[in-house]
Amino acid sequence: MKLTDYRGANLFDELVDAQGAIRPYYRGVADKLAGLGPEELGHKLRSLELLFLKQGITFTVYGDEQGTERVFPFDPFPRVIPHHEWETIEAGLVQRITALNLFLYDVYHEQRIIKDGVVPPEVVFGASHYRPEFVGVSVPKDAYIHVCGTDLIRDRDGRYLVLEDNGRCPSGVSYVLENRAAMKRVFPHLFGASGVRPVDTYPSDLLATLRHVAPRENPNPNVVLLTPGVHNSAYFEHSFLARQMSIEIVEGRDLIALDGFVYMRTTRGLRQVDVIYRRIDDDFLDPQVFRKDSCLGVPGLVDAVRRGNVALANAIGTGVADDKVTYAYVPDMIRYYLCQEPILDQVPTYLAWRPDDFRYILENLPKLVVKAANESGGYGMLIGPTATAAEIEEFRRRVTATPRNYIAQPVVNFSQHPTLVDGGLEGRHVDLRPFVLWGDTVKVLPGGLTRVALKRGSLVVNSSQGGGSKDTWVLAA
Amino acid sequence: MLSRVADHLYWMSRQMERAENLARLVRVSEEMLLDDESLGRGSAQEYWTPVLAATAMEGAFRGLYPEPRQGDAARFLTLDLRNPDSILSCIKQARENARSVRDKISDEMWTELNALHMLVTSPEGAQLLARSPHSFYEKIIASSMLFDGITEATLTRDEGWNFLQLGRLLERADMTSRFLDIRSQTPAGDSALESLQWGAVLRACSAHASYRRLHGGEISVERVVDLLLFSNEFPRSVRHCLRRADEVLHDISGTPTGRYSNPCEKITGALLARLSFAGPGRSWPAGFMPTSTSCRRSSTAPVRRSSRPTCCCRAR
Repeated sequence: MKLTDYRGANLFDELVDAQGAIRPYYRGVADKLAGLGPEELGHKLRSLELLFLKQGITFTVYGDEQGTERVFPFDPFPRVIPHHEWETIEAGLVQRITALNLFLYDVYHEQRIIKDGVVPPEVVFGASHYRPEFVGVSVPKDAYIHVCGTDLIRDRDGRYLVLEDNGRCPSGVSYVLENRAAMKRVFPHLFGASGVRPVDTYPSDLLATLRHVAPRENPNPNVVLLTPGVHNSAYFEHSFLARQMSIEIVEGRDLIALDGFVYMRTTRGLRQVDVIYRRIDDDFLDPQVFRKDSCLGVPGLVDAVRRGNVALANAIGTGVADDKVTYAYVPDMIRYYLCQEPILDQVPTYLAWRPDDFRYILENLPKLVVKAANESGGYGMLIGPTATAAEIEEFRRRVTATPRNYIAQPVVNFSQHPTLVDGGLEGRHVDLRPFVLWGDTVKVLPGGLTRVALKRGSLVVNSSQGGGSKDTWVLAA
Repeated sequence: MLSRVADHLYWMSRQMERAENLARLVRVSEEMLLDDESLGRGSAQEYWTPVLAATAMEGAFRGLYPEPRQGDAARFLTLDLRNPDSILSCIKQARENARSVRDKISDEMWTELNALHMLVTSPEGAQLLARSPHSFYEKIIASSMLFDGITEATLTRDEGWNFLQLGRLLERADMTSRFLDIRSQTPAGDSALESLQWGAVLRACSAHASYRRLHGGEISVERVVDLLLFSNEFPRSVRHCLRRADEVLHDISGTPTGRYSNPCEKITGALLARLSFAGPGRSWPAGFMPTSTSCRRSSTAPVRRSSRPTCCCRAR
């Protein structure tokens, strides 16, 4: 692999500084990669691809009739995060999940933050994932978001910015673990004395987090993972995590709610369930309470949750916290609940329902990124600078029709990372999704999922939209 | 164990076994057909009719291929997804079932099944089938056997193991009885041809070596039936498979052998009794046909169908 031809660009480059010199913490891995001849590299790339394919590490693309399963493209050049940077990220993430959980407790109980005028009522009550039916309902240990995946990007100066919080069913952690396993197998020589922090304790940490909220006194609570089924895009991850934690992976039809308790149907009869790590959205959990047409959920499940006989992770109603409008208020939340300044910055956000912002958005559509307030996966999004006139007009219509549903942000030309393209190295935009667990203690998985936009110049890193991923190395010192 | 998981495991191993047996059947049939053609005996159509009938897919085949041409029957049984019981359909369904229970099977089992799936769905697989059908079927048979061996070597002997065994054993008994049907429905009337055809049945059941060791090279219908239906020792004989299935069922329920606590145990018990009393050689052919048919009927009974039409058993 030739490093000499690689150039940074007019934005933050993870590998090289503004003068084109390799950053010190990248030198070890860069030298070792540069030592690989094209033949050896090609061979390794093929074995990587085969490894993923053979193990069926795939995801499902919606709206694609034919190829239901695809391998998530993987780039072997690892992203390196030095120790001191990670310390800041970690502290910032802990601060953020703490504030979000306090916020969720508050909006489902006293609603002080609204009464004190810090967050306008319409932000909370207008969020489509706010669940008024859960006001006054207590959840075990007051924990709402047990698992959080927060997306970070780096601006031109290398500052880490929070792009969004995923506090419902964040996915991607299985790729973090599988990417590392694949790298160790195919590029073992990169690891020697590199000081990379391991990631493999995540499944046991997750299990501890889930057991922590078990409602009854039971040394061995029955924890299950609830999946929508094999056709869900993240099914590989569901099955992977269940296997790693040695818990049952269940579908709605495997569960039954009776007299306020939840049981699973086994070959030996019914067995009570204590904690459900659900990978299904609120809407589909219980046809008696939410969507009537859902056949993925369990009738009576919500009643059992209300009675405190079963715990859900994440809790019902967390969507109000990762709403893109609420996002704009997270720094205020941190100041309000924790009396601290936010450690991590975030992207300036215009809210379409504020008259001034609304006018600004409509006047500057071609310069902005417009997002639907509660969509994920890169769907329902406009990237002004690369959009066609028709797309811009379409969004003008949508924003005008339902301003509460839209926010806009300036385009952040986020950082790039050298990525293998046709045997050479080219810069491609990357983001980072670290995973935070809120249990007895708060744990941040060192690293997270680095997603890379494989199309030149593209800022969309989502797997469903042509993104790939990299192994992420957090250095111990 | 979740009931649904038991269901997936049972059908996964049944479908693997079915794919393997179909591969053996098509491979042997194509070889036989070459002999027939070179001797100018009968048409390919006449030849395939009983084979298709034995897989219970004759009607579906006629519907899809009203005027079948050479190779259509083999294609229909191998890579035709419109045939829910083609080799390809079976492997796809087996993999879907495996995907649902990945946490219950070993990584090595999954890798092997996934590799087989990649082979039969890839252009390379289709090319191999066109260039060298023999190698193609060989690969499927070998992969299924490897899967079985990996299962044996990597899986804890718990309830899941029992359901895997049950699926495989019942499918094996079912397939062996179907292969016997092929020839018993069309007596050749010519003793030289008959021994050729029954030799093919032996090969389709991987039983030729066992047969030779027991009886030498001369093929007699009675002895073939003896081996494939009544043998206690040959692992693909109907009786052997049913006896093992009966044991597995008792393992699952915890009921002592010889007694029963559910309809499945009752059915296997009754079938085994019939096989014992029919006895080798004596009551064939009078008692033979009903036995193999009822074996097939009951093989679909032990696990009640849940809500998955994709892995549904043969409609009979």
